[in-house]
Amino acid sequence: MMEPRKRRAVVAALAILPALAKFAAFGVRHVPGPCQTPACGAAAYAQRAAQATEPPAVLISRQLAARAHLSQGDLVTLGSDPKGTRRAVFRIAGIYEPTPDPMRFTATRLEARMHLPDLVDLAADPADPASREAATTINVRLADAADATKFATDLAARTPGVTARLASRPRDDDPFAVLDRFHIAISAVTMAGGTAFLLALMVIRAEERRETVGILRLLGISRRTLLLSVAVEGVAIAALGAVFGILLAFATEGLVNRIFQARYDTALVFVRVTSSIALRSVLIAAPLGIAAGIAASWTLLRRDLLSIVRR
Amino acid sequence: MEIVRAHDVSRIFPMPAGPVAALRRVSLTIAAGEHVAITGPSGCGKSTLLHLVGAVDSPTDGSIVFEGRDLASLSEPERGRLRLTRIGFVFQRFFLLPMLTAAENIELPQAEAGATAAARRSRTRELLAYVGLTDRADHLPSQLSGGEMQRAAIARALANRPALLLADEPTGELDEATSDTIADLFDRVNAGGTAILVVTHNPSLAARASRRLAMRSGRLLA
Amino acid sequence: MSALHLAWRTVRRYRAQTILAIAGVAVIGALLFDMLLLSRGLLLSFADLLERAGYDVRIVGGGGMALRMPIPDSAAIAGLVRRLPEAERVALVRILPARLAARDGKPSASVALIGVSGAAAGVWTIVRGVDLDRAAGEACPMIVGRSLAARLGVGPGDQVRINAEQAGVTSALPAMTCRIVGLGQFAFGGAGDESVATTFDALHRASGEDRAGDADLILAASRPDAGSAALVSAIQRARPGLAVYSNDEVVEQFNRNGFAYFRQISLVLSSLTMVFAFLLVATLLTVSVNQRLGEIAALRAIGIGRRRIAAMLLWESSLLVGVGGLLALPLGELLALGLDRILRQMPALPEQLHFFVFEPRALVIHAAVLVVTAVAAAAYPMWITARMPIAATLRREVVG
Repeated sequence: MMEPRKRRAVVAALAILPALAKFAAFGVRHVPGPCQTPACGAAAYAQRAAQATEPPAVLISRQLAARAHLSQGDLVTLGSDPKGTRRAVFRIAGIYEPTPDPMRFTATRLEARMHLPDLVDLAADPADPASREAATTINVRLADAADATKFATDLAARTPGVTARLASRPRDDDPFAVLDRFHIAISAVTMAGGTAFLLALMVIRAEERRETVGILRLLGISRRTLLLSVAVEGVAIAALGAVFGILLAFATEGLVNRIFQARYDTALVFVRVTSSIALRSVLIAAPLGIAAGIAASWTLLRRDLLSIVRR
Repeated sequence: MEIVRAHDVSRIFPMPAGPVAALRRVSLTIAAGEHVAITGPSGCGKSTLLHLVGAVDSPTDGSIVFEGRDLASLSEPERGRLRLTRIGFVFQRFFLLPMLTAAENIELPQAEAGATAAARRSRTRELLAYVGLTDRADHLPSQLSGGEMQRAAIARALANRPALLLADEPTGELDEATSDTIADLFDRVNAGGTAILVVTHNPSLAARASRRLAMRSGRLLA
Repeated sequence: MSALHLAWRTVRRYRAQTILAIAGVAVIGALLFDMLLLSRGLLLSFADLLERAGYDVRIVGGGGMALRMPIPDSAAIAGLVRRLPEAERVALVRILPARLAARDGKPSASVALIGVSGAAAGVWTIVRGVDLDRAAGEACPMIVGRSLAARLGVGPGDQVRINAEQAGVTSALPAMTCRIVGLGQFAFGGAGDESVATTFDALHRASGEDRAGDADLILAASRPDAGSAALVSAIQRARPGLAVYSNDEVVEQFNRNGFAYFRQISLVLSSLTMVFAFLLVATLLTVSVNQRLGEIAALRAIGIGRRRIAAMLLWESSLLVGVGGLLALPLGELLALGLDRILRQMPALPEQLHFFVFEPRALVIHAAVLVVTAVAAAAYPMWITARMPIAATLRREVVG
């Protein structure tokens, strides 16, 4: 396939687009069986070309449609080499949103999809019969997914030079696994910083109540009772705080996704707050809040009574 | 010579349950060097009157003139300057800065008034001796007794040689013996020429004043 | 009795909360500093690797950097470049997949066989033994990656057998025997460093081709007085249509395409940590001021001006953020080591590439962000104390 820059040049250069009428209906072309010789292939190509009453269909990506100002029903010429010597006319049957690829999210998805025989006709070397039989990838859906590893191993053994790979094989060196670890490390550091501040705030709160605590202790209320009341208060505040945090996360999730989707012109979802993530956050934040409150109060309660009540 | 003239002063506080008239058409004059005590039950408006005379608050109606200047015509920085140089405040809860020593608390208003370091130190030593806290100069408030803290607060109030000392329940948190010590100190301050306006529940403190006024329900009784 | 003195005494008095606040700022500041290092770290490291290779211009085939395709007529192009006055030296590079076996019976390893002509100094660094140009007389001298050699248990002087493979072609070429003359650290070698290098001629013989194939890459070093831009222009004038790039252009391309994720995440996290630090310090200061409202009202009552009190709060904020920010630097360096170690687990990453690289610019931005944070965090507490009704506050303190 030609590089996007050249592709656009060919499409844009041809002046036939505005002159052609937009046909309402468009059918699927009949594709004859595969040929075994160059002569047969060339003849079949010529036959199809002669028999064609409608240009073959092509789907283009939304980004390509926007960049080249194309719309459904337009006729376009696609070529497989920069000089445009091997080219064919296609009708745009539809515009699709490319499946977002996290590994290529910065790339502008200028792409087109067509039937395999049309691509073969366009790109195959007429002098090389094997080129009409070549494919880049063969996707296989197994009847039983549990057979995948064995199937891949058997296939690789039987067909030297072919790589059979599972589509969803988890690997230790998966870049997204590495990024996952990176994000967890960042989260841990953020939590550490936040915890220090939380403790500082709790110490201030405990100090604010010094007089009250002193009076209660003078009245005979035990440390245990006071700590229990702090813990109960801590549970309430931590629960409220956690809920607020989750709601804030959901709100910012949408904002972050909208910003980056607009920035990179992609449908990729960058941030997703799942129920598992929300639960993990609550399970970390709530005990942390309670523990900070108890720890700060304990620093006050463990002092002797006179030093608490004295200014 | 009068230093304070309050004429028909009222102060109404807007409250959720309805406006509250803390002061109703109060008139008061204080002459230079005079010692005035105002007594009355809690909530009668004593502290409110003190705050108005001290330019800490503004009346809803009426006027207050301090040394010939109408307080209403002064900007906030001018009122602050007045409080710093011409008025001294003593509070029931002392309000010393807990992180500064007794000496540093006394130095603070002098620094704000622009005194040099040498002048501040000299004046502070003088005041510490005056209130009997020379050997407690480097102690933090948490290391002082209630009486000592109040003496330090009085010394702070006198730091810039004010014309008028305002004291809001200065013995409210002190025992009788300590209260008498404070009362003696007020006598000495007044004898030195500083006018004093004290609001108090303490009859023996009030008895030291040359003029005693009673307040009830926001009004000065005749 | 300056505002700084008052602030210092305040933070000293409330020791526990001061230490905790400084610790919090230090940790968040460390994260901020690291994100600043990350924002251009990979780019700086990549540029450094390119520079260290010793060549500042490269010619590639296939019309772009992303795809490795042979350069047609590469020998002639290399000769033409050598003759340009702007060029100092030129090297041809070709890379083929191959299998390397140390001894009969031992399992072989998949390697990248690099064939280099001319001076290739810088593409690898010799750590043991000698370089290819000092192995005169050897039919097939070889440089083996250090970690690969350790894995195979080979060293300088050992013989190995190499089976080159042509991409996309099933072949059964006979193995060729080569002698290891040195162990090297390849500039763009991964952690496993499965690269081996030999001469262009030896690679041609190993590939079984009837004529020397085209190079995948032509490296050129410009004369110091000419510069890479001049050499690029000279090559483009001599041979229009060639894909020629200076190192700066290569770095810029990778900056646009390959490093976008890290740029974005460093921007997002830098912003978040700044907001986080601001919120935390502002909250802490506000709560602390609320705790001392009586004191502050009394100060206002005795004539201490708003300006001095505001300055005191600003100094308090500055002390917390300033000390924390200073501590954040060594903490950030330590944290960067750990985060760099995590990210370098990415597959196929050159071993010498780093994500977190120090540059003075990061320090300046770090300081500027912290200054802004300190000022912004003090703004609301300053506003509270400036607008505070003195009398009402005093009354509340007495009653409450």
